[in-house]
Amino acid sequence: MIVAVWYGIVAFSLSTYVVLDGRNFGAGMLQRFVAREPLERRQVIAAIGPLWTWHEVWFVSTGGAIFLAFPRLLASAFSGYYLALFLILWCVVLRGVSIEVGGHIDDRLWQTFWDAVFTLSSALLALLFGAALGNVIRGVPLHADGTFYMTFFTDFRAKGDVGLLDAYTVSVAFFCALVLAAHGATYLTARTEGPVHARAVAMARRLWLAAIPGFLAISMFTSRVRPELFQGLASRPLAWLGVATCAGSAVALFTGLRSGQEQRAFLGSSFLLQGILMSGAATLFPVMLFSTLDANDRLTAHNCAAPHESLVAASLWWPFSLILAFVYVFVVRHYYSDRVRASRDTATPY
Amino acid sequence: MDSNLTNPALWHRIQFAFTITYHYLFPQLTMGLGWFLVYWKWTALRTGEEKYNRASRFWARIFGLNFAVGVVTGIPMEFQFGTNWAGFSRYAGGIVGQTLAMEGMFAFFLESAFVGALVWGEKRLGPRVHFLAAIGVATGSWLSGFFILVTNAFMQRPAGYAITADGLLMLNSARDYLMNPWAWVEFSHNQAAALVTGSFAISAVGAFYALRGVHAEQARLYLRAGTLVGLFASVAVAFPTGDAQAKMVGRHQPVTMAAMEGRFEGGSLAELCLIGQPNVKEQRLENPIALPGALSFLAYGTFESYVKGLNEFPRDTWPDSIEILYYSFHIMITLGTIFIGIMGWAVVQRLRGRLEISTRLLWILLLSLPFPYIATSLGWATAELGRQPWLIYGLLRTRDGYSKVVSDGDVLFTLIGFVGLYFVLGVLFLYLTGREIQHGPDGDAAHAAAQPT
Repeated sequence: MIVAVWYGIVAFSLSTYVVLDGRNFGAGMLQRFVAREPLERRQVIAAIGPLWTWHEVWFVSTGGAIFLAFPRLLASAFSGYYLALFLILWCVVLRGVSIEVGGHIDDRLWQTFWDAVFTLSSALLALLFGAALGNVIRGVPLHADGTFYMTFFTDFRAKGDVGLLDAYTVSVAFFCALVLAAHGATYLTARTEGPVHARAVAMARRLWLAAIPGFLAISMFTSRVRPELFQGLASRPLAWLGVATCAGSAVALFTGLRSGQEQRAFLGSSFLLQGILMSGAATLFPVMLFSTLDANDRLTAHNCAAPHESLVAASLWWPFSLILAFVYVFVVRHYYSDRVRASRDTATPY
Repeated sequence: MDSNLTNPALWHRIQFAFTITYHYLFPQLTMGLGWFLVYWKWTALRTGEEKYNRASRFWARIFGLNFAVGVVTGIPMEFQFGTNWAGFSRYAGGIVGQTLAMEGMFAFFLESAFVGALVWGEKRLGPRVHFLAAIGVATGSWLSGFFILVTNAFMQRPAGYAITADGLLMLNSARDYLMNPWAWVEFSHNQAAALVTGSFAISAVGAFYALRGVHAEQARLYLRAGTLVGLFASVAVAFPTGDAQAKMVGRHQPVTMAAMEGRFEGGSLAELCLIGQPNVKEQRLENPIALPGALSFLAYGTFESYVKGLNEFPRDTWPDSIEILYYSFHIMITLGTIFIGIMGWAVVQRLRGRLEISTRLLWILLLSLPFPYIATSLGWATAELGRQPWLIYGLLRTRDGYSKVVSDGDVLFTLIGFVGLYFVLGVLFLYLTGREIQHGPDGDAAHAAAQPT
């Protein structure tokens, strides 16, 4: 039972990270498309706001939750994904630096350079996280001792001795980049004014429309690579809740976009992403990492879990820390709730 | 590459040592500056004097840059436990995972929620909430240090654990784990040292302005606050915290104590070496100049106490880099002593009313800036090299803790990647910080006007 709770906490942390920082990746990817002038590009950074480090902490906290609750998964997956994970970390470093230092010097060349770094690192992160998600669904070449070490690619088929990139994971990567771009555009519609806002509205509509056939295609591909994801759905009541959340969120998103209720659209977009990830996690439980070599060698919540006493102790403090984390954010958000316009005011980051 | 034959975890160790040492250059200033910001903001609220606001605004900008580099270099640390130290993570995750997760949940969320608002949001938040933001960030940074030091203390002196049927570690007593005496001693020592770094940075900028004859009012403020806190903190680093730390090592890691002192033969009236070079091959100390009995006194409280030598311990429990360990420890102690002298001299000059005009003192304060960083890095080198060959003292050897699936070549590749990336980050940080210092605290009337309202 407690193992399932911690599986849920890890899924919740990770999906919260994707929802929160995903919108920053999206806004970053689209920065040069929604913003045509230097001040407008500053406006995009200002719209991301001073809480982006708080969003990023969810990434670290997900790592922490895995370390705490599923140390064997951390040991196996992080060392197995060694080079890929460092690519992600280096992009995270560059993305963070580009947000922080761009506004320090009011100089066109300086800002153009850092904006380019911001866009590129955001796009790469969306693709890399997408490929990582594809890897989790497809599985990795896990051996009987629970370890693996993957090359970047082998023969691009999603079976057997797979690499990090294959036809499936690359498709998921591009689909995720598309969805996060749409999510980021939706965020910008709710947080900006002026020409950037107008372009973000057009962009959000187009990107979400493109995401619909993308979603159908990726679902069909997924049902071939990982049929369990759909077969298990019927028997998991929690996954139904996730699917219902997705349906409601999709309605809120599309009606919100259509009627200009941008806050509602953005909430819809956020819960849609979280719903998809959470219902996926609920369906795959207890598996955390599939093996593409032998189905029995998979890592599950049960064979990766930390000792019971450790999980009990963590369950006592974790909810408390979660409440505190949200209290801080509601305090600060209160002062940053207005829409951002392009002006000299946004020359400084937030 | 066959370094695995002689030192299995070599490249993993070098990569972790490089990334953590580089990372820690930034949080130590964050933790040191945090409470200065709180103090200046509080004084500004209380007295309404603009100079305190100016000081906190100026240092908040430097804090922000420093914090940003600290964050981006800190994120890879959390993940390197899994990437490079899979054996350790798997074995000890059931206990050290607690504090590493707590750091994210209790400390990072607190810091990260308020830091942007602290650096850029003074006008939006208003003076009172902005003051609270400063407290939030300072508290968060110290909490983060605390959780990391509890984790490190567990690796130095395991407490509160039990071993499961599978031979893995689990949390047995959260109380013993968090109240590990080693953690509290190490935390006090480390935080005092962070305050030393902060006060030397503030004094150095004050000295820089005073020597150039600019920003006189701010220079005076920095010099006074920096040197006064600097004196207290420098003393606290040595006594009681450094002293307690040495006694802790003497009690729980006697072989480390012997290696730190390059002491091969045991005996009472053990001498403290002021100068000397360990010769591990021939097992003696070259050209020693030593104070007899001082080591006995420092480690165990009496001059006659018997201090064991390395030869009394099995060879496979000796730290494996005795030379670096010895030099790190001795240079750290020497620098710490010099810091007390410099700050003591500065406080005497202040009492004589000559703090801002004593050119020689100002030059020394300016040029000392790098040395607290060197001292803290060496302090950590002492702690971590001294713990070898153990990853968790007495429980897990370093050679059993690294990721066996990762090849040396891949680690070397990522190490080179980090060196390159962090070099660029360093240049960027120095350039932007230098620019802020050049720009100065009084120029911010124009700067503030550009801020969002």
